[in-house]
Amino acid sequence: MRVNPNPMPDLLASLNQTELAAQQAALQISSGRSVNEPSDNPTAAALLIQNNDEATFNAGYLQNLSAINGQLSTADSTLSSVGSALQQALSLGIEGANGTLSDSDRAAIVNQLQGIQSQIISLANTSYQGNYLFAGTASGTIPYAANSADPSGVTYQGNTGVNQVSVGAGYQIEINQPGSQLFSAAGTNNVFLALNNLITSLQQNSGIETAVTSLNTASSYLSAQRVFYGNAMSQAETQTTYLNAAKLQIAQQQTALGGADMAAAATNLSQAQTDTQAALEAISKIGQDTLFDYLK
Amino acid sequence: MSGLFGSLSIALSGLSVSQQEMETSSNNVANANTPGYSRESAETAAGAPVVYGPLSIGTGVVLQKIESLRDPILEIQLNQETQQQSSLNTQLGQLEQLQTQFSSSTSGIGADISNFFNSLQQLAPDPTNLALRQSVLTAAGTLATDFNNASSSLQTQASNLNLSVVEDVSQVNTLTSEIASIDQQISSLQDANEEAGPLVDQQTNLIRQLSGLIDVDVVQTGAGGIELTTSSGTTLVAGGQSFALTTATGAGGNQQILAGAQNITSTLTGGSLAGTIAIRDQEIPGVTGQLDQLAAGLSTALNTANKTGFDLNGNAGGNLFTTPPTGGTGAAAAMQVAITDPSLLAASSDGTVGSNGNLAVLAAVANQTVVNGNTPIDFYSNLVFQVGNTTSNTSADVDAFTQILQQLQDQRGSVSGVSLDEEASNIVQYQTAYQASARVVSTIDAMLADAVNLGIDAAVQ
Repeated sequence: MRVNPNPMPDLLASLNQTELAAQQAALQISSGRSVNEPSDNPTAAALLIQNNDEATFNAGYLQNLSAINGQLSTADSTLSSVGSALQQALSLGIEGANGTLSDSDRAAIVNQLQGIQSQIISLANTSYQGNYLFAGTASGTIPYAANSADPSGVTYQGNTGVNQVSVGAGYQIEINQPGSQLFSAAGTNNVFLALNNLITSLQQNSGIETAVTSLNTASSYLSAQRVFYGNAMSQAETQTTYLNAAKLQIAQQQTALGGADMAAAATNLSQAQTDTQAALEAISKIGQDTLFDYLK
Repeated sequence: MSGLFGSLSIALSGLSVSQQEMETSSNNVANANTPGYSRESAETAAGAPVVYGPLSIGTGVVLQKIESLRDPILEIQLNQETQQQSSLNTQLGQLEQLQTQFSSSTSGIGADISNFFNSLQQLAPDPTNLALRQSVLTAAGTLATDFNNASSSLQTQASNLNLSVVEDVSQVNTLTSEIASIDQQISSLQDANEEAGPLVDQQTNLIRQLSGLIDVDVVQTGAGGIELTTSSGTTLVAGGQSFALTTATGAGGNQQILAGAQNITSTLTGGSLAGTIAIRDQEIPGVTGQLDQLAAGLSTALNTANKTGFDLNGNAGGNLFTTPPTGGTGAAAAMQVAITDPSLLAASSDGTVGSNGNLAVLAAVANQTVVNGNTPIDFYSNLVFQVGNTTSNTSADVDAFTQILQQLQDQRGSVSGVSLDEEASNIVQYQTAYQASARVVSTIDAMLADAVNLGIDAAVQ
C-alpha cells in the first residue's frame, strides 16, 4: 500500500497536542486550580458556585455570632447588676419592716431605695453601640422614663418586639428581651411596680412586709428571665464551634473540586515537555533525505 | 512502415515519449508542495501494430494520456468533513470566549448573589446601622452591574459575529465566481477532449476552501461541468455561472444571508458560516435569555419582599431594583438598584425603627424557587454547567473531526501525493530509456550509412 509521502501535517499535529498538554499543565500549576474554565470540568464548576455560596454564608454566620455576643453579654451583665441592686433593696426593705424604726430612719431608707430606683432605671436604659437593649424593637427610644404619676414610677416607652438573627441555615436566635417582659411585666412580676410600692409603703409606714414579699416575687421573676441570655450565649458558642468545623470542610471541598493536584500537574508538564522534545527530534530526522540526494 | 526508417521512427517515439514522461515527472516534482495538487502519471501504450501477412510489427510507444491520480470519493468525504469541522471549530472559538464570563466561582454573578444575601444577614444584628445598610446597597449595586456587564459582553460578541458573517459571505462569493470561471475553462477543454488535470485540482482546492465557509454539495453534470448547491438546495454555481449571496441587516440588527430574495441564514448546516450563525442566533441568545430570567426573577422577588417591610422612616418599603421589563427580555442589561438612600431599605417588619423582621423575608428569597423553579444560586450554577458542558463537548467533537480529516488527508496523500523518491526513481528510468533510445538512433544512423554505402567504400559516414 502506498503511504502518504507527506507526513509533516500529522507530525505537526502531534507536536501541537504535546504543546497543548504542556500549556494546560503549566496553567494548572500557576493558577493552583484544576478548573480554570467551566469546560475543564462542568460539574465541578457548577458545584464550586454552590461551595462558594456556603463559604460566604458560613463566614457571615460566624460574624453575626460575634456581633450578637457583645450584645448578649452586655445585657446579661446589666441584668446581673439589676439583680444585685434588687437584693440590696430587699435588705433595706426588711430593715424598714422593723417596727422599731423612727420616721427619720424610715425616711433614710426611702432615700436609699429611691437611689436604687434611679440606678435600676438607668440600668434598664443601657445602650450598646447606640441601640437601647431593652426597648424591644424601638431601639432608638429610651425604654423607661421616670413618671411620678404612674404607680410603678416609670413609663415604658419601648415596644414588645423581638429581633432574630440567623446563625445557621434555617437557624435563628432571638437576641433581645423587651423591658416590658423583664422590668415591667404584668401583675406580681413587675419589678418597678414592686419597688415603687415598697417605697410608698415605707413612706406611709403601712404594708411594708407585704411590699417586701412582692418585691421578692418580682426579683425572682427577673432572675428567671436572665436565663434567656445565658441560653442564647450558650447556643451561640455551640454554633460557633460547629461553624468553624464546617468552615474547614467547605474549604476542603473547594480544594477537592477545583484545586490543582500539584504533583500530578508537575508530572504532566514534565512528561509533555519530554514528549515535545521527542516529537521535535523525530520531525527533524524524518523525510529530509530523498532519492534525489543519492543520484549522481 | 518497415525497414530502418521504421526502426528510426520507433526509436524517435521512444525518445519523445521519454521526454514527455520526464516532463510529467518534472511537473510532479515542481508541484510537490502545491496544495491540492494531484500527481500526474504518464500513461503509455505500445503503438498499434502494423500487420504484414503473418507478421505483426510494433510501431513504438504512444503516450495515451497524462492522468491526474485522484479519488473523487475521498474528495467528497473531505469536503463534508471539512464543513463539519469548520463549523464546530468556529463554534468552539466563540464558546471559549463566551465561557470566560463564568470562569470564577469566587467572583462574578454567582458570588455577587451570595454576597448580597449575606449582606442582608450581616445587617440583622444592628438593623439601624447606616454603614451596614449601605453595604447591602453596595452589594446590590455590584450584582446589578455584573448583570449589565455580562449582558453587554454577550451583545458585543454577537455584534462582532456580524462582521464575520459579512466577511465570510464576501469570501464565498469570491470563491464561487472563481470556481465558475474554472468550470467554464474545464468544460471548453473537455469539449476539445483535452486533459484538464491541473484545472480540476485548482477547482477542487477552491471547493475545499468553500467547504470551510459554507455547506456545499457538488453535483457532476455532464461534460466535466459541476453544479454547487448548499445542502438545503440554494444554488451557488450552475452552468458555468456563479450566483452571489448578499447580506442585509435584519430585524434585531443581525446580518441575514440572502440568496436573491430568499433568507437562507437558518438553513446553513456546515462551514464557518453555520458555526457563526449557530452561536450568534442560538447560543448567545440562549445564555442571554437565562441571565435575563435570573435578573428578572431576583429583582421581582426582592422588590416584593422589600415592599412587605418598613424603612427607617416608618414608611412602607418600595422597589429595591428597577422593575424588570415585561416578559423579562433585557432584564439583565437594564437591572439597576432603585434606591440610593440606605434608610429606604425596608428592614423593619412592624414599622418600628429597630425591628429587623423584614430582613428575614428579604434573605429568604435566596432559598425560594424564584427563577424558573430554581433558587437563584441553583439556576446560576446550572447555567455555568451548561456553558461549560457545551464548550467541553464541542471541543471533543472538534478533536474527533480533526482526526478524521487528518486520516482522510493521509489517504488522499497516499493516492495523490507526490513522492520525491518515486519521482527520482522514475526520472532515472526515463533517463535510462532516453539514453537507450538515443543509442538506438545512433546505431540506426550508422546502419543507414552502411546501407547507403552498400558496396561503395565509406562514401558516407
